Amino acid sequence: MISEIDIYAGLSSPIHRWDPRLKVISIFMLIFSIMLLYDLKLVIISMLFAIILVYISRIPFSFILGRLKWVFLFVLPFLIILPFTVIGEGSEIAKIGSITLNFRGIESVEFAVMIVIKALTSVMLIFPMIGTSRMDITFKALEDLHLPNKLVQMLAFTYRYIFVLSNEFMLMERSLTSRGFKRGSNLYTITTLTKAIATLFVMSFEQAERVFYAMRSKGYAGKITTMHEFTLRPHDWLYTVVVCGFAIFVQVAVWYGTLEGT
Amino acid sequence: MVHISDGILAPWLWGSGWVITAAILAYTLKKMKIDDVPKLSVITAAIFVASLIRIPAGLTSVHLVLSGFAGVTLGILAYPCIFIALVMQAFLFQHGGITTIGINTVNMGVPALISFFIFKAGMKLKLNIGIRKNEILFGAIAGGIAVALAVLLLAVELLVTGEQFTEIATTVVLAHIPVILVEAIFTGVIAGFLATVKPEMLSIGR
Repeated sequence: MISEIDIYAGLSSPIHRWDPRLKVISIFMLIFSIMLLYDLKLVIISMLFAIILVYISRIPFSFILGRLKWVFLFVLPFLIILPFTVIGEGSEIAKIGSITLNFRGIESVEFAVMIVIKALTSVMLIFPMIGTSRMDITFKALEDLHLPNKLVQMLAFTYRYIFVLSNEFMLMERSLTSRGFKRGSNLYTITTLTKAIATLFVMSFEQAERVFYAMRSKGYAGKITTMHEFTLRPHDWLYTVVVCGFAIFVQVAVWYGTLEGT
Repeated sequence: MVHISDGILAPWLWGSGWVITAAILAYTLKKMKIDDVPKLSVITAAIFVASLIRIPAGLTSVHLVLSGFAGVTLGILAYPCIFIALVMQAFLFQHGGITTIGINTVNMGVPALISFFIFKAGMKLKLNIGIRKNEILFGAIAGGIAVALAVLLLAVELLVTGEQFTEIATTVVLAHIPVILVEAIFTGVIAGFLATVKPEMLSIGR
Protein backbone atom coordinates (compact mmCIF):
# COMPACT_ATOMS: atom_id res chain seq x y z
CA MET A 1 0.00 0.00 0.00
CA ILE A 2 2.68 2.51 1.00
CA SER A 3 6.20 2.14 -0.27
CA GLU A 4 9.02 3.78 1.58
CA ILE A 5 10.75 6.68 -0.06
CA ASP A 6 14.24 5.82 1.17
CA ILE A 7 14.56 2.37 -0.43
CA TYR A 8 17.37 3.68 -2.63
CA ALA A 9 19.28 5.25 0.27
CA GLY A 10 21.82 2.44 0.04
CA LEU A 11 23.12 3.44 -3.38
CA SER A 12 26.32 5.41 -3.79
CA SER A 13 26.37 8.71 -5.64
CA PRO A 14 27.61 12.27 -5.03
CA ILE A 15 24.13 13.19 -3.77
CA HIS A 16 24.18 10.25 -1.34
CA ARG A 17 27.53 11.43 0.00
CA TRP A 18 26.29 15.01 0.41
CA ASP A 19 25.81 16.08 4.04
CA PRO A 20 22.06 15.61 4.76
CA ARG A 21 21.76 18.96 6.54
CA LEU A 22 23.10 20.98 3.62
CA LYS A 23 21.27 18.74 1.15
CA VAL A 24 17.87 19.32 2.75
CA ILE A 25 18.36 23.09 3.04
CA SER A 26 19.77 23.56 -0.48
CA ILE A 27 17.11 21.56 -2.29
CA PHE A 28 14.36 23.09 -0.15
CA MET A 29 15.62 26.52 -1.18
CA LEU A 30 15.76 25.41 -4.82
CA ILE A 31 12.12 24.24 -4.73
CA PHE A 32 10.97 27.57 -3.29
CA SER A 33 12.98 29.48 -5.85
CA ILE A 34 11.45 27.51 -8.74
CA MET A 35 7.92 27.99 -7.39
CA LEU A 36 8.45 31.77 -7.50
CA LEU A 37 9.14 31.62 -11.25
CA TYR A 38 6.52 32.73 -13.73
CA ASP A 39 8.53 32.38 -16.92
CA LEU A 40 8.04 29.27 -19.04
CA LYS A 41 11.63 29.21 -20.35
CA LEU A 42 13.17 29.40 -16.88
CA VAL A 43 10.72 26.80 -15.55
CA ILE A 44 11.76 24.37 -18.29
CA ILE A 45 15.46 25.01 -17.55
CA SER A 46 14.74 24.30 -13.87
CA MET A 47 13.05 21.06 -14.76
CA LEU A 48 16.12 20.00 -16.75
CA PHE A 49 18.27 20.88 -13.72
CA ALA A 50 16.00 18.70 -11.54
CA ILE A 51 16.31 15.84 -14.02
CA ILE A 52 20.11 16.16 -13.93
CA LEU A 53 20.05 16.03 -10.11
CA VAL A 54 17.91 12.88 -10.22
CA TYR A 55 20.26 11.37 -12.80
CA ILE A 56 23.30 12.05 -10.62
CA SER A 57 21.53 10.58 -7.59
CA ARG A 58 21.12 7.25 -9.49
CA ILE A 59 17.57 6.78 -8.22
CA PRO A 60 15.86 4.80 -11.02
CA PHE A 61 13.60 6.97 -13.17
CA SER A 62 10.98 4.22 -13.21
CA PHE A 63 10.56 4.62 -9.43
CA ILE A 64 10.07 8.37 -9.79
CA LEU A 65 7.78 8.11 -12.81
CA GLY A 66 5.48 5.83 -10.82
CA ARG A 67 5.06 8.60 -8.26
CA LEU A 68 4.87 11.41 -10.83
CA LYS A 69 1.92 9.69 -12.47
CA TRP A 70 -0.33 10.57 -9.51
CA VAL A 71 0.83 14.17 -9.37
CA PHE A 72 0.15 14.45 -13.08
CA LEU A 73 -3.38 13.12 -12.60
CA PHE A 74 -3.89 15.77 -9.92
CA VAL A 75 -2.77 18.69 -12.08
CA LEU A 76 -4.36 17.37 -15.27
CA PRO A 77 -7.68 19.19 -14.60
CA PHE A 78 -5.77 22.47 -14.68
CA LEU A 79 -4.42 21.63 -18.12
CA ILE A 80 -7.89 20.71 -19.38
CA ILE A 81 -10.09 23.30 -17.70
CA LEU A 82 -7.84 26.35 -17.44
CA PRO A 83 -7.61 27.31 -21.14
CA PHE A 84 -11.38 27.36 -21.48
CA THR A 85 -13.93 29.61 -19.88
CA VAL A 86 -17.69 30.03 -19.78
CA ILE A 87 -17.78 33.52 -18.30
CA GLY A 88 -14.51 35.16 -19.28
CA GLU A 89 -13.37 36.74 -22.53
CA GLY A 90 -12.04 34.66 -25.41
CA SER A 91 -12.78 33.29 -28.84
CA GLU A 92 -15.99 31.33 -28.99
CA ILE A 93 -15.63 27.65 -29.86
CA ALA A 94 -18.94 26.07 -28.86
CA LYS A 95 -22.41 27.07 -27.74
CA ILE A 96 -24.68 24.82 -25.69
CA GLY A 97 -27.96 26.54 -24.94
CA SER A 98 -27.21 29.79 -23.16
CA ILE A 99 -23.69 28.69 -22.19
CA THR A 100 -20.86 29.67 -24.50
CA LEU A 101 -17.52 27.92 -24.21
CA ASN A 102 -14.65 30.28 -24.87
CA PHE A 103 -11.00 29.57 -25.56
CA ARG A 104 -8.73 31.90 -23.61
CA GLY A 105 -5.91 31.85 -26.15
CA ILE A 106 -2.44 30.41 -26.40
CA GLU A 107 -1.13 32.34 -23.33
CA SER A 108 -3.44 30.42 -21.03
CA VAL A 109 -2.26 27.10 -22.48
CA GLU A 110 1.30 28.21 -21.77
CA PHE A 111 0.28 29.18 -18.23
CA ALA A 112 -1.36 25.79 -17.66
CA VAL A 113 1.69 23.94 -19.01
CA MET A 114 3.89 26.00 -16.70
CA ILE A 115 1.76 25.05 -13.67
CA VAL A 116 2.04 21.37 -14.58
CA ILE A 117 5.82 21.53 -15.09
CA LYS A 118 6.30 23.39 -11.79
CA ALA A 119 4.26 20.81 -9.86
CA LEU A 120 6.20 17.93 -11.47
CA THR A 121 9.60 19.59 -10.88
CA SER A 122 8.90 20.12 -7.20
CA VAL A 123 7.95 16.46 -6.78
CA MET A 124 10.98 15.29 -8.73
CA LEU A 125 13.29 17.23 -6.41
CA ILE A 126 11.88 15.43 -3.36
CA PHE A 127 13.72 12.27 -4.41
CA PRO A 128 17.31 13.58 -4.38
CA MET A 129 16.39 15.55 -1.25
CA ILE A 130 15.15 12.81 1.08
CA GLY A 131 15.36 9.66 -1.01
CA THR A 132 19.14 9.57 -0.80
CA SER A 133 19.64 9.19 2.97
CA ARG A 134 18.05 6.87 5.46
CA MET A 135 14.99 8.43 7.03
CA ASP A 136 16.35 8.35 10.59
CA ILE A 137 19.45 10.22 9.44
CA THR A 138 17.29 12.83 7.72
CA PHE A 139 15.36 13.30 10.97
CA LYS A 140 18.62 13.64 12.88
CA ALA A 141 19.68 16.26 10.32
CA LEU A 142 16.43 18.17 10.88
CA GLU A 143 17.11 18.14 14.61
CA ASP A 144 20.62 19.46 13.98
CA LEU A 145 19.08 22.26 11.93
CA HIS A 146 17.26 23.42 15.09
CA LEU A 147 13.76 22.73 13.93
CA PRO A 148 11.37 22.65 16.92
CA ASN A 149 12.20 19.43 18.73
CA LYS A 150 8.57 18.44 19.26
CA LEU A 151 7.91 18.65 15.53
CA VAL A 152 10.92 16.51 14.62
CA GLN A 153 9.91 13.93 17.24
CA MET A 154 6.38 13.83 15.87
CA LEU A 155 7.69 13.42 12.33
CA ALA A 156 9.93 10.53 13.34
CA PHE A 157 7.20 8.75 15.32
CA THR A 158 4.49 9.31 12.73
CA TYR A 159 6.76 8.01 9.99
CA ARG A 160 7.30 4.77 11.88
CA TYR A 161 3.64 4.28 12.76
CA ILE A 162 2.29 4.90 9.27
CA PHE A 163 3.65 1.56 8.08
CA VAL A 164 2.51 -0.33 11.20
CA LEU A 165 -1.00 1.06 11.00
CA SER A 166 -1.45 0.63 7.26
CA ASN A 167 -0.53 -3.03 7.70
CA GLU A 168 -3.02 -3.37 10.52
CA PHE A 169 -5.75 -1.79 8.47
CA MET A 170 -4.99 -4.13 5.58
CA LEU A 171 -5.46 -7.10 7.91
CA MET A 172 -8.75 -5.63 9.10
CA GLU A 173 -9.93 -5.11 5.56
CA ARG A 174 -9.06 -8.68 4.67
CA SER A 175 -11.10 -10.01 7.55
CA LEU A 176 -14.03 -7.80 6.52
CA THR A 177 -13.82 -9.13 2.96
CA SER A 178 -13.62 -12.72 4.14
CA ARG A 179 -16.91 -12.17 5.97
CA GLY A 180 -18.52 -11.03 2.73
CA PHE A 181 -18.24 -7.24 3.04
CA LYS A 182 -18.39 -5.34 -0.23
CA ARG A 183 -17.96 -1.62 -0.78
CA GLY A 184 -20.91 0.15 -2.32
CA SER A 185 -22.53 3.58 -2.31
CA ASN A 186 -24.67 3.18 0.76
CA LEU A 187 -24.86 4.13 4.40
CA TYR A 188 -23.97 0.57 5.41
CA THR A 189 -20.56 0.79 3.72
CA ILE A 190 -19.81 4.12 5.33
CA THR A 191 -20.77 3.02 8.84
CA THR A 192 -18.95 -0.32 8.54
CA LEU A 193 -15.74 1.29 7.30
CA THR A 194 -16.11 3.99 9.93
CA LYS A 195 -16.33 1.41 12.69
CA ALA A 196 -13.28 -0.41 11.30
CA ILE A 197 -11.36 2.86 11.29
CA ALA A 198 -12.62 3.69 14.78
CA THR A 199 -11.31 0.35 16.03
CA LEU A 200 -7.99 1.14 14.38
CA PHE A 201 -7.88 4.45 16.27
CA VAL A 202 -8.70 2.90 19.64
CA MET A 203 -6.20 0.09 19.10
CA SER A 204 -3.42 2.46 18.08
CA PHE A 205 -4.22 4.83 20.95
CA GLU A 206 -3.80 2.02 23.49
CA GLN A 207 -0.68 0.78 21.72
CA ALA A 208 0.80 4.27 21.86
CA GLU A 209 0.36 4.37 25.62
CA ARG A 210 2.17 1.05 26.06
CA VAL A 211 4.96 2.05 23.67
CA PHE A 212 5.42 5.33 25.50
CA TYR A 213 5.82 3.61 28.90
CA ALA A 214 8.26 1.12 27.40
CA MET A 215 10.31 3.95 25.92
CA ARG A 216 10.24 5.93 29.13
CA SER A 217 11.58 2.97 31.07
CA LYS A 218 14.44 2.70 28.57
CA GLY A 219 15.41 6.32 29.12
CA TYR A 220 13.55 8.23 26.39
CA ALA A 221 13.78 11.97 27.07
CA GLY A 222 12.55 13.43 23.80
CA LYS A 223 15.71 13.35 21.73
CA ILE A 224 16.89 11.39 18.69
CA THR A 225 19.93 9.24 19.42
CA THR A 226 21.78 7.64 16.52
CA MET A 227 25.38 6.53 16.10
CA HIS A 228 25.65 8.77 13.06
CA GLU A 229 27.84 11.87 13.37
CA PHE A 230 27.76 14.62 10.78
CA THR A 231 30.99 16.06 9.42
CA LEU A 232 31.31 18.74 6.77
CA ARG A 233 33.91 18.23 4.06
CA PRO A 234 34.83 20.45 1.07
CA HIS A 235 32.65 18.54 -1.42
CA ASP A 236 29.56 19.16 0.77
CA TRP A 237 30.08 22.89 0.30
CA LEU A 238 30.76 22.45 -3.43
CA TYR A 239 27.35 20.76 -4.02
CA THR A 240 25.67 23.40 -1.87
CA VAL A 241 27.20 26.18 -3.93
CA VAL A 242 26.08 24.51 -7.19
CA VAL A 243 22.47 23.91 -6.12
CA CYS A 244 21.97 27.19 -4.22
CA GLY A 245 23.81 28.97 -7.01
CA PHE A 246 21.24 27.68 -9.51
CA ALA A 247 18.39 28.75 -7.21
CA ILE A 248 19.85 32.26 -7.06
CA PHE A 249 20.69 32.26 -10.80
CA VAL A 250 17.05 31.78 -11.86
CA GLN A 251 15.94 34.62 -9.59
CA VAL A 252 18.63 36.90 -11.00
CA ALA A 253 17.53 35.91 -14.50
CA VAL A 254 13.96 36.93 -13.65
CA TRP A 255 15.22 40.22 -12.26
CA TYR A 256 17.21 40.99 -15.39
CA GLY A 257 14.28 39.93 -17.53
CA THR A 258 11.96 42.44 -15.87
CA LEU A 259 14.59 45.15 -16.20
CA GLU A 260 14.82 44.53 -19.93
CA GLY A 261 11.07 44.59 -20.25
CA THR A 262 10.71 48.08 -18.79
CA MET B 1 -8.10 17.61 -3.48
CA VAL B 2 -8.37 19.91 -0.51
CA HIS B 3 -4.61 20.21 -0.59
CA ILE B 4 -3.27 22.22 -3.49
CA SER B 5 -0.11 21.41 -5.45
CA ASP B 6 2.96 23.55 -5.89
CA GLY B 7 3.05 26.36 -8.39
CA ILE B 8 -0.66 27.14 -8.64
CA LEU B 9 -1.46 29.71 -5.98
CA ALA B 10 0.07 33.18 -6.01
CA PRO B 11 3.35 33.37 -4.06
CA TRP B 12 2.05 35.98 -1.58
CA LEU B 13 -0.81 33.58 -0.73
CA TRP B 14 1.32 30.56 0.10
CA GLY B 15 3.82 32.88 1.74
CA SER B 16 1.22 34.23 4.15
CA GLY B 17 0.03 30.64 4.63
CA TRP B 18 3.46 29.82 6.09
CA VAL B 19 3.34 32.88 8.35
CA ILE B 20 -0.10 31.99 9.77
CA THR B 21 0.87 28.33 10.19
CA ALA B 22 4.11 29.25 11.95
CA ALA B 23 2.22 31.50 14.38
CA ILE B 24 -0.47 28.91 15.25
CA LEU B 25 2.16 26.13 15.42
CA ALA B 26 4.28 28.16 17.85
CA TYR B 27 1.26 28.65 20.12
CA THR B 28 -0.03 25.06 19.99
CA LEU B 29 3.44 23.52 20.37
CA LYS B 30 3.88 25.54 23.55
CA LYS B 31 0.65 23.99 24.87
CA MET B 32 1.88 20.50 23.98
CA LYS B 33 3.96 18.41 26.38
CA ILE B 34 6.82 16.22 25.14
CA ASP B 35 5.00 13.31 26.81
CA ASP B 36 2.14 13.82 24.35
CA VAL B 37 4.40 13.18 21.36
CA PRO B 38 4.04 9.39 21.03
CA LYS B 39 0.26 9.48 21.50
CA LEU B 40 -0.28 12.36 19.11
CA SER B 41 2.02 10.77 16.53
CA VAL B 42 0.07 7.53 16.55
CA ILE B 43 -3.19 9.39 16.08
CA THR B 44 -1.59 11.45 13.30
CA ALA B 45 -0.42 8.26 11.62
CA ALA B 46 -3.90 6.76 12.01
CA ILE B 47 -5.44 9.89 10.47
CA PHE B 48 -2.92 9.66 7.64
CA VAL B 49 -3.72 5.99 6.96
CA ALA B 50 -7.47 6.52 7.24
CA SER B 51 -7.32 9.43 4.81
CA LEU B 52 -6.07 7.00 2.15
CA ILE B 53 -9.15 4.79 2.42
CA ARG B 54 -11.58 5.23 -0.43
CA ILE B 55 -15.28 5.22 0.25
CA PRO B 56 -17.64 4.91 -2.73
CA ALA B 57 -20.00 7.86 -3.14
CA GLY B 58 -22.26 7.84 -6.15
CA LEU B 59 -20.25 7.56 -9.34
CA THR B 60 -16.92 8.45 -7.80
CA SER B 61 -15.14 7.49 -4.62
CA VAL B 62 -13.97 9.92 -2.00
CA HIS B 63 -10.97 10.07 0.24
CA LEU B 64 -11.70 11.02 3.80
CA VAL B 65 -10.25 14.37 4.87
CA LEU B 66 -10.61 13.78 8.62
CA SER B 67 -9.79 17.33 9.69
CA GLY B 68 -13.07 17.51 11.60
CA PHE B 69 -12.25 14.23 13.30
CA ALA B 70 -8.83 15.59 14.27
CA GLY B 71 -10.48 18.62 15.86
CA VAL B 72 -13.02 16.48 17.73
CA THR B 73 -10.39 14.14 19.20
CA LEU B 74 -7.30 16.30 19.61
CA GLY B 75 -8.64 19.78 20.34
CA ILE B 76 -6.21 22.55 19.47
CA LEU B 77 -3.41 20.01 19.12
CA ALA B 78 -5.12 19.03 15.85
CA TYR B 79 -3.18 21.85 14.22
CA PRO B 80 0.35 20.40 14.65
CA CYS B 81 -1.03 16.96 13.79
CA ILE B 82 -2.52 18.17 10.52
CA PHE B 83 0.75 19.94 9.77
CA ILE B 84 2.73 16.72 10.29
CA ALA B 85 0.22 14.70 8.25
CA LEU B 86 0.53 17.16 5.37
CA VAL B 87 4.34 17.13 5.54
CA MET B 88 4.20 13.33 5.36
CA GLN B 89 1.75 13.46 2.50
CA ALA B 90 3.87 15.93 0.53
CA PHE B 91 7.14 14.08 1.03
CA LEU B 92 6.14 10.41 1.11
CA PHE B 93 3.18 10.50 -1.21
CA GLN B 94 3.82 13.57 -3.28
CA HIS B 95 0.21 14.59 -2.66
CA GLY B 96 -0.01 18.34 -2.33
CA GLY B 97 2.97 20.60 -2.64
CA ILE B 98 5.95 21.58 -0.56
CA THR B 99 5.74 25.35 -0.79
CA THR B 100 2.02 25.00 -0.13
CA ILE B 101 2.30 23.02 3.11
CA GLY B 102 1.74 26.27 5.01
CA ILE B 103 -1.43 27.31 3.22
CA ASN B 104 -2.75 23.73 3.11
CA THR B 105 -2.35 23.51 6.89
CA VAL B 106 -4.33 26.74 7.21
CA ASN B 107 -7.04 25.39 4.90
CA MET B 108 -7.47 22.19 6.90
CA GLY B 109 -6.25 23.20 10.35
CA VAL B 110 -8.27 26.35 10.95
CA PRO B 111 -11.57 24.58 10.09
CA ALA B 112 -10.43 21.74 12.39
CA LEU B 113 -10.01 24.24 15.23
CA ILE B 114 -13.45 25.70 14.47
CA SER B 115 -15.03 22.24 14.45
CA PHE B 116 -13.40 21.57 17.82
CA PHE B 117 -15.03 24.69 19.28
CA ILE B 118 -18.39 23.70 17.76
CA PHE B 119 -18.12 20.21 19.24
CA LYS B 120 -17.09 21.57 22.63
CA ALA B 121 -19.96 24.06 22.66
CA GLY B 122 -22.35 21.31 21.59
CA MET B 123 -21.27 19.07 24.46
CA LYS B 124 -21.94 21.89 26.92
CA LEU B 125 -25.48 22.33 25.64
CA LYS B 126 -26.59 19.04 27.28
CA LEU B 127 -29.45 18.35 24.88
CA ASN B 128 -31.37 15.42 26.31
CA ILE B 129 -31.88 13.53 23.06
CA GLY B 130 -30.63 10.17 24.29
CA ILE B 131 -27.39 8.41 25.06
CA ARG B 132 -24.56 9.23 22.62
CA LYS B 133 -26.97 11.10 20.33
CA ASN B 134 -25.39 14.35 21.42
CA GLU B 135 -21.93 13.22 20.36
CA ILE B 136 -23.24 11.82 17.07
CA LEU B 137 -25.13 15.01 16.23
CA PHE B 138 -22.35 17.46 17.01
CA GLY B 139 -19.69 15.14 15.63
CA ALA B 140 -21.55 15.12 12.32
CA ILE B 141 -21.94 18.91 12.33
CA ALA B 142 -18.26 19.39 13.19
CA GLY B 143 -17.13 16.90 10.53
CA GLY B 144 -19.27 18.43 7.80
CA ILE B 145 -18.35 22.02 8.63
CA ALA B 146 -14.62 21.24 8.75
CA VAL B 147 -14.61 20.01 5.13
CA ALA B 148 -17.03 22.65 3.87
CA LEU B 149 -14.89 25.44 5.30
CA ALA B 150 -11.69 23.89 3.94
CA VAL B 151 -13.17 23.72 0.44
CA LEU B 152 -14.47 27.28 0.67
CA LEU B 153 -11.07 28.57 1.78
CA LEU B 154 -9.42 26.79 -1.15
CA ALA B 155 -11.98 28.14 -3.62
CA VAL B 156 -11.50 31.69 -2.35
CA GLU B 157 -7.71 31.32 -2.61
CA LEU B 158 -8.01 30.13 -6.21
CA LEU B 159 -10.28 33.04 -7.08
CA VAL B 160 -7.94 35.53 -5.43
CA THR B 161 -5.00 34.08 -7.39
CA GLY B 162 -6.59 34.82 -10.72
CA GLU B 163 -9.80 35.15 -12.71
CA GLN B 164 -8.75 32.21 -14.91
CA PHE B 165 -9.27 29.83 -11.96
CA THR B 166 -13.05 30.49 -11.70
CA GLU B 167 -14.03 27.26 -13.45
CA ILE B 168 -11.51 25.21 -11.44
CA ALA B 169 -12.81 26.67 -8.16
CA THR B 170 -16.39 25.80 -9.12
CA THR B 171 -15.36 22.24 -10.02
CA VAL B 172 -13.55 21.86 -6.70
CA VAL B 173 -16.58 22.98 -4.69
CA LEU B 174 -19.01 20.76 -6.63
CA ALA B 175 -16.70 17.74 -6.40
CA HIS B 176 -16.60 18.05 -2.62
CA ILE B 177 -20.32 17.99 -1.88
CA PRO B 178 -20.35 14.15 -1.53
CA VAL B 179 -17.18 14.38 0.56
CA ILE B 180 -18.88 16.76 2.99
CA LEU B 181 -21.80 14.32 3.40
CA VAL B 182 -19.60 11.24 3.85
CA GLU B 183 -17.34 13.11 6.24
CA ALA B 184 -20.31 14.30 8.35
CA ILE B 185 -21.63 10.74 8.67
CA PHE B 186 -18.14 9.44 9.38
CA THR B 187 -17.35 11.95 12.12
CA GLY B 188 -20.78 11.50 13.70
CA VAL B 189 -20.53 7.71 13.83
CA ILE B 190 -16.97 7.80 15.11
CA ALA B 191 -17.80 10.36 17.82
CA GLY B 192 -20.66 8.14 19.00
CA PHE B 193 -18.41 5.06 18.89
CA LEU B 194 -15.67 6.74 20.91
CA ALA B 195 -18.17 8.10 23.44
CA THR B 196 -19.12 4.48 24.28
CA VAL B 197 -15.81 2.69 23.78
CA LYS B 198 -13.13 5.20 24.75
CA PRO B 199 -14.52 8.51 25.97
CA GLU B 200 -11.08 9.78 27.01
CA MET B 201 -10.16 10.01 23.32
CA LEU B 202 -12.69 12.78 22.76
CA SER B 203 -11.39 16.28 23.29
CA ILE B 204 -14.09 17.36 25.75
CA GLY B 205 -11.71 17.35 28.69
CA ARG B 206 -9.02 19.37 26.95
